Order: sequence, then C-alpha cells, then structure tokens
Amino acid sequence: MSNQPLRGMRILDFGRAVAVPFATQVLGWLGAEVVLVENVSFMTNRTLPPFVDAVAGVNRSGIFNLMNSSKLSVTLDMRKAEGREVARELVAISDVVTENLPYGAMEKVGLGYDKVRRINPTIIYLSLSAFGRSGPMKGAVSFHSGVAFVSGLAAVTGYPKGQPRMAGSVLPDFVGASYGILGLLEALYHRAQTGQGQYVEVSMSEAQTTMLPEAIADYSLNRIEPKRVGNRHKAKAPHDIYPCRGDQKWVAISVGTDEEWHKFCAAIERPEWLADLRFSAKANRQKNQGALDDLISLWTRDRDPGEVTALLQRHGVAAFPVLDSGELLHDPHLIERGFVASVPHKEVGARPMGTTAWMIDNQRPYDIRPAPLLGEHNEYVLKELLSLSDRDIGDLGKAGAMGH
Amino acid sequence: MIDLGEMISAPFAARLLGDAGAEVIKVEPPGGDPSRANGPFPKGVIDKEQSALYLYLNANKLSVTIDIEDTRGIALLHELIAQADVLITNQSPQALDRLRLRHCHLKSLYPRLIVTAITPFGLTGPHRDYTGDDLIAVSAGGLAFATPGMPDVITDPGAEPPLRSETPVSDYLAGLSAAIATMAALISRRLTGQGSEVDVSQQEAVAMNMAWDIAHASYLRPKGRTHEIAGSQPNYVFPCKDSHVVIVAFLQNHWESLLRIMGNPEWAKSPVFSNGFERARNWDALESFITEWTLQHSGKEIGDLAMAHGIPCFPAYSIGQVVNSEQAKTRRYFQSYKASNGRVVQLPGYPVRMNETPWSRRHTAPKLGEHTAQILGHRLGHSFRQLRHLRAAGVISYV
Repeated sequence: MSNQPLRGMRILDFGRAVAVPFATQVLGWLGAEVVLVENVSFMTNRTLPPFVDAVAGVNRSGIFNLMNSSKLSVTLDMRKAEGREVARELVAISDVVTENLPYGAMEKVGLGYDKVRRINPTIIYLSLSAFGRSGPMKGAVSFHSGVAFVSGLAAVTGYPKGQPRMAGSVLPDFVGASYGILGLLEALYHRAQTGQGQYVEVSMSEAQTTMLPEAIADYSLNRIEPKRVGNRHKAKAPHDIYPCRGDQKWVAISVGTDEEWHKFCAAIERPEWLADLRFSAKANRQKNQGALDDLISLWTRDRDPGEVTALLQRHGVAAFPVLDSGELLHDPHLIERGFVASVPHKEVGARPMGTTAWMIDNQRPYDIRPAPLLGEHNEYVLKELLSLSDRDIGDLGKAGAMGH
Repeated sequence: MIDLGEMISAPFAARLLGDAGAEVIKVEPPGGDPSRANGPFPKGVIDKEQSALYLYLNANKLSVTIDIEDTRGIALLHELIAQADVLITNQSPQALDRLRLRHCHLKSLYPRLIVTAITPFGLTGPHRDYTGDDLIAVSAGGLAFATPGMPDVITDPGAEPPLRSETPVSDYLAGLSAAIATMAALISRRLTGQGSEVDVSQQEAVAMNMAWDIAHASYLRPKGRTHEIAGSQPNYVFPCKDSHVVIVAFLQNHWESLLRIMGNPEWAKSPVFSNGFERARNWDALESFITEWTLQHSGKEIGDLAMAHGIPCFPAYSIGQVVNSEQAKTRRYFQSYKASNGRVVQLPGYPVRMNETPWSRRHTAPKLGEHTAQILGHRLGHSFRQLRHLRAAGVISYV
C-alpha cells in the first residue's frame, strides 16, 4: 500500500464553508498538494467560532483548522486583475480545481470550467453546490439545514406528532463532500488511463437523497408518505435510546429477532419477560413497545452506559453508549485504531481531530499536517510553484493582488 | 468486483463502484440477499424480485448464487476471487475469520486483491467483536446525540433522548466511505502492484461526518444540543399555514433581508435581537415572534419570497414534494426502475455528474441467481453436469 496514493497531484481549492474544504482535506491526507486560495476580505471559516480560549483570530478557529489541515494557504485578491492572473497561472500547473462558491462566482473571475479547460485541457473540475448548477434552484444559497428539509432527510427525522427535524452535525455538507471525493478519485483514475480531464458536479441535496431510497420508493409505488417514528424501527423491538445514570447519559439498545430477545432477557435477568404475552413475539413487542421501553428505562436509569453495553454485548445483544463529540475524542477504541489524530499547529498547539472511516493495511496512511496560517505559503506558491522573481512578487504586493 | 454483501452497506459500496463502470458480481446465498425481503413492495405484497431496496442497491450487478457455508461453495467463491480486483463484504469479523476471507488469508494467493470489509466497529480494537446496526452506529458515532435539536413533542429539552433518522444513514455512510477507500486502494495499486486490506468501521463512518461538532469539542467545548450555527440564530424549523418551513438567517445580511420580507416588524428593533448571538440567547422570545409570522403564510410563499431575496429559507418538503420538485425534474435526478413484473418505481439517481464518463444503468438489478450458469459455466468452465450436480446439492441455484 502506498501511503499517499495522490502524491504528485495538485488541487487548487476555492472551497468555502464545509463541503469542499472537507473533501479537499481528505484528498490532502491522501497525499495531494492542496493550495487553498483565500482572501482577507472573504474568509468565512477563519472567522467562525469556536476559537481557542474563546479568543477570536484568523488562525484560531476550530472549524477552519480542523477542516483545512494538510493544505497550503495563498491569499489572492480576485477582484484585482493581477490576482486573477496568478490564479490562472496556478490553474495551468494544477490537476484539479474545486469550488463551492455561489452560482456564477467562478465565472465572474474568469475561472468557470470553460475558461479553465482552455488554460489546462486535462483539468478535473469539481463544482459542488446545495441544489446543483442547473434547474430553477441553481441560484439558491443554502446551508446544511435548508438541504436537510429539501432533500427529504428531515421528513424522516422526528416524532409521530411532531415536526420534521434537522439531523445532527451538518450532515448534508459531509455527504456532499464524500460524493465529491468519490467523483474526483474516479476522475483521476479515468485520467490516469486516458489522459482525459472532466467536469464533476455534485448537488448536496441529491447526494443526501441517495440515503432515502425506501421512503422515495414507498411514495412512488404506493403514494405513502413516511411516518416519523422517533427511535423506533419497523422490524425491531426494543429499539431505542434509554436514559442512564448521570446527566445526559444514554444507551442505545437494539433487539431484532426472538433469539436476540431471549439473549437480552437472559443478560438483564428478566426471565419473566419471556413469559409475558405482551412481549412474547416480535409483533407483540412492537405493539407494546411503550410499556416495554418504560420497563427497560427502569432498568437502565440507575446504570452506567458503559456497564450496560459491556453486559449486553457479552450476551451478543447490540448496545452502545450514546457518545457526544467530546466523548468521541476520548473513546479508547477510536484512539487505539488511530481515528483520533492530533497535529501541532503553530498558533494553537496540538488539538485532537477525527480522521477517516477506514484504515488501509491496518494503518491510517495519511499525511496530516496542521492547517496553514493565513497566507503562510504565499512565498512558496509564488517562488517555488510559479518561479516568479522577487521583483514580480513586489509588484503583485504593490498592486494589492496578494489579498493583504 | 465481488460483492459478498447483504442488506445495505457493502451492496451500496459495490453499487457505487459498479456505477463507475466496474463489473460487479454479487454473490448471494441460495435464499437471496435479505434486502430482497425488505421492500417497499408494490401494494406492500412481498415478492423477492420486487423489493425496491434491492432494485436500488443492486443495479449494475450480476447475481451468482453460492452457499459459502459449504466447502464446495467456498471453492467456487475462490475461483471468482482469483479473477477479481476487489472483494467487498460486510460479513462480521468472526464470520470472515471462520471463512478465512480476511485479506491476511487471501493475499498470498491473490497478491493484487483488495479486500474491503465493512464491520460495525472495524477489524481491530477493543470493540471489534461488538455487534451493531444503524441505531448503534449513529449512537456510537456521535450523530444521534447531536440530532434532537430543540424539542417539540417532548417539552423538557434535558429529558429528550438522542434521535435517529428513520433511514439507516450509517449504512449508507459506511458504503460511501468504503467506495472512496476502495478507489484510493485501486489508485495505490496502480503505483505498487499490490492489493491491500480496506477496513471500514461503521462507527467511524458516522464519526468522520461529525467534524463540525468535533471542532467545537476540540477547540472550546462540546456543542450544545441546539440548532444554532456558530452560536447564532435563527436556524430552525417553524410551523406555517400548510406545513413547516426552515428559516436560516443567522448571518446578519440574511437576517436583515428576512426582516424586510417580514415587513420590518416593531419587535425586531429591540436590542435583544440585534445580532446572531443575542438572538440565540433570547431564543424563546424570538421563536414565538417568528412563528406568529410564519403561521400567516404557506411554505411556498415564504420559500419563494426568501429565494427572491437570497435567503436560505425553504418549505419542509414531503417525500412527494421531493420526488415531484421542478428542480429534480429539470435535472432528471430520479430514475425509473422496472421490476421483473413490469412495475415501475422511482428511485434516487447517481449524484455525481461527470461530463466525460456519465453515469448509466447498464443492468437493472438481477433476479436471484440470474447469472450463476453464465458466470460459473461459461466463464469458469464448469460443465452443465457439474452445475446441475451442485444445484441438486443446494450449493448453487440458478434460473
């Protein structure tokens, strides 16, 4: 296994917010050289909290630093002709261009796909947006929350008599990011075989909808809208999240087959439940799940989620503590597997972050370097990558093209 | 690619790679992948060739039926693996050990083979033998804790449990991660000539998608279980005349545009709503003021007004509205799938649009064992006599 399969690839990144920055960060971990084009007057994530010690600063944002590791930062003012010229020169020496700016913004600075492919005919160009680059909603701006409601995800999230809800995280951004990564890897593979570049387009909303085929199909076949069911499941019972001892401590328990039900009752020493007609077969447990959940809650509420999990898993029953994002960073299993990484950043020191869902050959084969300081690599980009003279560089500075 | 998967995660990964052009041979047990019994079915009537979930996850594949619990079946599987680039599976770690299908068992025989294994907690670590499903993965990966947001049905926010969406998000996330990691391994193989083991954890597939929340925990403190973005509001769902509407105006320019379409109400001049942080701090008051306005309008009215003013506010779509939206129709996103009896079902399309290698559906999902005779007979060279003998012994089935 090569630790860095994308070594030698260069990505010119015009990503903002979450989806494209996260996608190019993963490609950076895989070895690509990612050059992030920033601008002092438009930095989005560098100005978003949380900041270390709650003190704001362009190099102190957790949202920026943990979604832009393993990248280089160059500041360019794209409103200046000289800034746009530097960007065009970077396009000529890049393999991939990525963007998720508002509709038309790349075209406005002369970096739409048609222009870019004229500069570099084998370029691969990722354009990622909330609803896609065509259709009546192509111009609509949105964050994850809007996408959650337009994609159908919110329609299947919530309680029977309640409203549709946002799923946690900023999920549609990450789902869009993953499809962006997949598309770029496929395009790079294709280019390695044929020499041909291409345009890759991802809609976050469409991407999120790929995770809802059952709801889509039931509507399409039978005109049935999904019911929101809390934590319940159409084919399992008990199947819920139960309160445990302590503040905001919860455990998830999932029992499907009757065989699992027997294991569950044996594990928690409730043989009398096996004889209880309300719970004797799966259909009965589903019908009486409210009563069952109350009984299980009585058992869990004086226990620690870790203790419940160890006991049930020892008996082959699916259970796990409900972890919050802080607990993820301290989970011994995730730490032992190397999911949690920590790289020292010049201004804020070493802070833990999550990495990828996979290991290859039992390793996290990644090149994780700290997020760049704002404009940290201006000199490298201008001198090493573009071979500009000190005089040219001075002229760019005087023209205000370097964004400072 | 050999898809030795059942239900969602591994079949979805194999489907994505089949969509990218790979030939995918799905190896099913003689009774078929359990997703064949999952539905949704036309009129809810169970029919193993009509399950919409199966049709969705297994387009662009061939189906070969082999009982891998039988030694003759394992031998056939090895013959298929010998000709394959990738084996994708979501068998449990224990089953992979028992059947000797880990990469460590296979790599000396097939040095170029990539083995992609999706398991609840990964192939290593203290929890590797834990059992799990989607509820367990969204709980272990941080998504459930972050989901409830603000309470509606249950009115005490502290007492409201974490929440799962009624679709197995973690199975799809794991499949998507497996497809990405397999592509990375394929690119590596071009450089090294060597196969590899791709170990995908369903817990980590969720946790990877928690980077926003993890940034809060890592840099300051874990994010509260509310909808505010960067400490600012509004970013929430409200009831409206006909349904619900999501109002996203935590950025000051969006907030000011929102006030304009609300007719610049008097209450908004109060300093307690002057910026996003104040609006988050005074959320209860803000929620009732905004609700008063949203209740006077339909979701579409608010959505249209907002779009004209460049604010990200949208009606909460029903699934019917998702399928029938002008946006989906213009982009031809949903695809019609025909089951074997001719019923047509709409299903999500391929969300990565590539101009030089556009997606196409080369095959609809196969019938159970549709390609057993073709692959084992023509390609692997077993005689029909041998195949009949194996079928009689229950090792394979074909149509």
